[in-house]
Amino acid sequence: MSEQKITIEYNDKIVRQFLYATVIWGAVGMLVGVIIASQLNFWQLNFQTAWLTFGRLRPLHTNAVIFAFVGNMMFAGVYYSTQRLVKARLASDFLSQLHFWGWQLIIVSAAITLPLGLTRGKEYAELIWPINIAVALIWVVFAVNFFWTLARRREPALYVAIWFYISTIITIALLYIVNHLSIPTSLLHSYPVFSGVQDALVQWWYGHNAVAFFLTTPILGIMYYFLPKAAERPVYSYRLSVVHFWSLVFLYIWAGPHHLLNTALPDWLQNLGMTFSLMLWAPSWGGMLNGLLTLRGAWHKLRTDPVLKFFAAGVTFYGMATFEGPLLAIKSVNALGHYTDWIIGHVHAGTLGWNGFMAAGMIYWLLPRLWNKPLHSTALANLHFWLGMVGILLYIGAMWTSGITQGLMLNATTEGGTVLAYPNFLDTLNSIRWLMLMRLIGGGFYLTGWLLLAYNFFRTVRGASPVNGTIEVYEEPAPAADARLGFMGTFFNAPTLFCLLGIGFSILWMLGTNLVSVFGLAGALICFAAGYALIQSRGKSWGDWYEKLLLNALPFTLLTFLAVVLGGLIQIVPTVLTQKAQNVEDRIQVPYTPLELAGRDIFVREGCYLCHSQMIRTLVPDVLRYGPYSRLGESIYDHPFQWGSKRNGPDLARVGGKYPNVWHLRHMEDPRSISPGSNMPRYLWLLQNDTDVGALPAKIKVQRMLGVPYGPLNAQQIFDSVGQQSKAIALDLRGSGAYVAPEKEIVALIAYLQCLGKSVPVAPKTTAK
Amino acid sequence: MTPKSDQPQNAEEALRPHTFDGIQEYDKRLPNWWLVTFYATIIFWVGYWFYYERAHLGPDNAHAVEQQLAAIEAVRLAAAPSLDDASLWKMSRNATFVEAGRTTFNTICASCHTKELTGAIGPNLIDHLWIHGGRPTEIYNTVTNGVLAKGMPPWGPVLGAKKITEAVAYVLSYHTEGEPILKQDAWVPPPPK
Repeated sequence: MSEQKITIEYNDKIVRQFLYATVIWGAVGMLVGVIIASQLNFWQLNFQTAWLTFGRLRPLHTNAVIFAFVGNMMFAGVYYSTQRLVKARLASDFLSQLHFWGWQLIIVSAAITLPLGLTRGKEYAELIWPINIAVALIWVVFAVNFFWTLARRREPALYVAIWFYISTIITIALLYIVNHLSIPTSLLHSYPVFSGVQDALVQWWYGHNAVAFFLTTPILGIMYYFLPKAAERPVYSYRLSVVHFWSLVFLYIWAGPHHLLNTALPDWLQNLGMTFSLMLWAPSWGGMLNGLLTLRGAWHKLRTDPVLKFFAAGVTFYGMATFEGPLLAIKSVNALGHYTDWIIGHVHAGTLGWNGFMAAGMIYWLLPRLWNKPLHSTALANLHFWLGMVGILLYIGAMWTSGITQGLMLNATTEGGTVLAYPNFLDTLNSIRWLMLMRLIGGGFYLTGWLLLAYNFFRTVRGASPVNGTIEVYEEPAPAADARLGFMGTFFNAPTLFCLLGIGFSILWMLGTNLVSVFGLAGALICFAAGYALIQSRGKSWGDWYEKLLLNALPFTLLTFLAVVLGGLIQIVPTVLTQKAQNVEDRIQVPYTPLELAGRDIFVREGCYLCHSQMIRTLVPDVLRYGPYSRLGESIYDHPFQWGSKRNGPDLARVGGKYPNVWHLRHMEDPRSISPGSNMPRYLWLLQNDTDVGALPAKIKVQRMLGVPYGPLNAQQIFDSVGQQSKAIALDLRGSGAYVAPEKEIVALIAYLQCLGKSVPVAPKTTAK
Repeated sequence: MTPKSDQPQNAEEALRPHTFDGIQEYDKRLPNWWLVTFYATIIFWVGYWFYYERAHLGPDNAHAVEQQLAAIEAVRLAAAPSLDDASLWKMSRNATFVEAGRTTFNTICASCHTKELTGAIGPNLIDHLWIHGGRPTEIYNTVTNGVLAKGMPPWGPVLGAKKITEAVAYVLSYHTEGEPILKQDAWVPPPPK
């Protein structure tokens, strides 16, 4: 070993920058949350302004808290801890700055485009395609900066926090790219390449794992660094870290279909989603246990130290949310909870409790260290903790009660189970009004707590001089050659082979035809028995191999990639490869006329899907309320799918033809004139704006490219068709005493709403055309 | 919980040799209850998958709901009231029926027909003009089956026979037996207020 001693100065400037951004965007994201929560109580609060309306602000809220708040917090935590855990300065100051400013630019452009109604219409994936490309590029910048730093590490072994960061970076890249595949129709608009059930599956593979790999794994890594640091206690169990890391990253990716239980998604995918969600419970709790048990011997510090208070509560909320998740993934529980406020409560236990509190703990711990000055006020930080805690409890308590109440009312039947007990959706909505108000108050408390943090933050850093951490290290020689695993050492050894073969055989058992399935079962049992015998006799060598793997960043990354990619491949590839028409039974959708397509884009633009599902589940109360359950084929041409995830209002899958045109006109003009007690905003601008007919030829061209059976329509034919259909609707409206020019957006939207649920019967399992 | 001493009591309490930026790690056994939970969920997966996907012992979603709907249809058919004009007229003079019908009408029907029954989006129900028949059983059928072309939803599946009977009785309470029933071709709504 050379005796040359050098001093490294960490790049803590970038950490400080990301912390500023975290505090500011956190406040913005939470504020928008409070605004949309109040709009659900008081519909007037959009001030008749399109860009202030719930459907446009809700994506802003979710994107801001996920990508802006937690994103910036994650980058700060990852950059701070990684440098110290690998004893190396971040590889490139330029890439760090590019990462920071690029990300802020993305956030600003999201904050501008989303309220303007520029959206892809998929939850947490709403940003338009040019921004998608920017996100992917900046993520690559992050990845290069991170892995380059790993390559220059002076600490040969990878600590558990780094494992979680690696899984985050590769998985988010994979998820983000696949779910954002689209074909542009203009500079600001595109259609996703997937449609209907494929789009639903890909979307929730992404949506669920955005929660997993954006809101969970990086924060677990942050927990593994900052919590033992703050508690000054050793991590509870290394082997628990190993077991829960690998089981978590492998199992998480399979669980996406639990967002689509009891829908038209094929049964096998639903059953995969449910059972894998249940198996995810223990791995998730492994992280909670390692966090909470690390606090053993430090619990007394909770009394005085706000940092540990936040961490202990954050980890506890993580445990609660990851118990609730598997619970809600049970089909029968999901039948009650899905589409209700229960889900909203569940995610906020995770985001407010886990992400928000871990962020606060991390910030309070970092402030004195990055600015070399004690925290301005510990009392304020404690007040923040209690305000936040009361806020969360009010919030999730209200949402549980509200979700279960509304779920029970919607599902209640009477007269021997033949009739709905509450046929009017509004009865169920109006019985949870006070709970929605309580949620608003809880959210307000939480926001206030965050503003206290912001105040404390700026008082602490004002006048303080930023300091960068340094460390003295010996220039160590490169790891010895015998520490290199190489390709053979990574893949052709007992632990990897037994895992891969065991998983492979189990998959054959699950999905193979009869003979293959029996073969798979036999193989899985042999793997299990032999693996068990091996681990009993020479488990030590498996442990040694793993220690060696930790010295090899690239092989570790490859194995992680393998673990996360399997679940996605197995679920998505068969569904995508199957010809669309083969997926269809009973009924197939009639493609939209040009006017209906224009109306659909208005529907997407206004974010209607955020309150109205288009999916009648295979559940009796759904069928009694909305009509025959939705078939796969009925949304087969929908780019993007609009199955929805929350019913603040009733389902719309079969609303077509249910009411006269004038009903929809009056309802959009003033929902309460038709449905007293409704909390839907008025959409007066739809009566004033003209439909963007000019964009239709490009849109239809892309739809045709994506496989929607449009004939060879030229632009003139498209305009003629629009003119004909819109005039017919305007004429019908006139007959009902309403005067609307056919060019207005409301006419296109009515055309769309009136075609919902239109399908033609097909013979079961038709072959592809 | 009281703070524990750092003295190693057994191998479990030993710290791993390597530290990361000062962070030490124990290597404690996985808690038994945690392992049992994990194994139990894995066994559940095997059993559940075998039951539904390999052995097909349980119905899939579509068959399950169709069975339940068939059972409901059977109950409905068995309980279907044999209504005739005379009994509906009689109900329309019964205060309990009319009061129950008023509630249903005001929450469901009034959004198109108005609480005064004078019509808005949907037609007036207290004049003598009827588009789809003004006899009590005809009104009952119109409500139950709907007139999709005109935007009247079929309320049978949603409200059930009892509530519809009451609502029709309520409408009939504005009419008298034997009054003229005149044919109307279509409803033209009055201009909005």
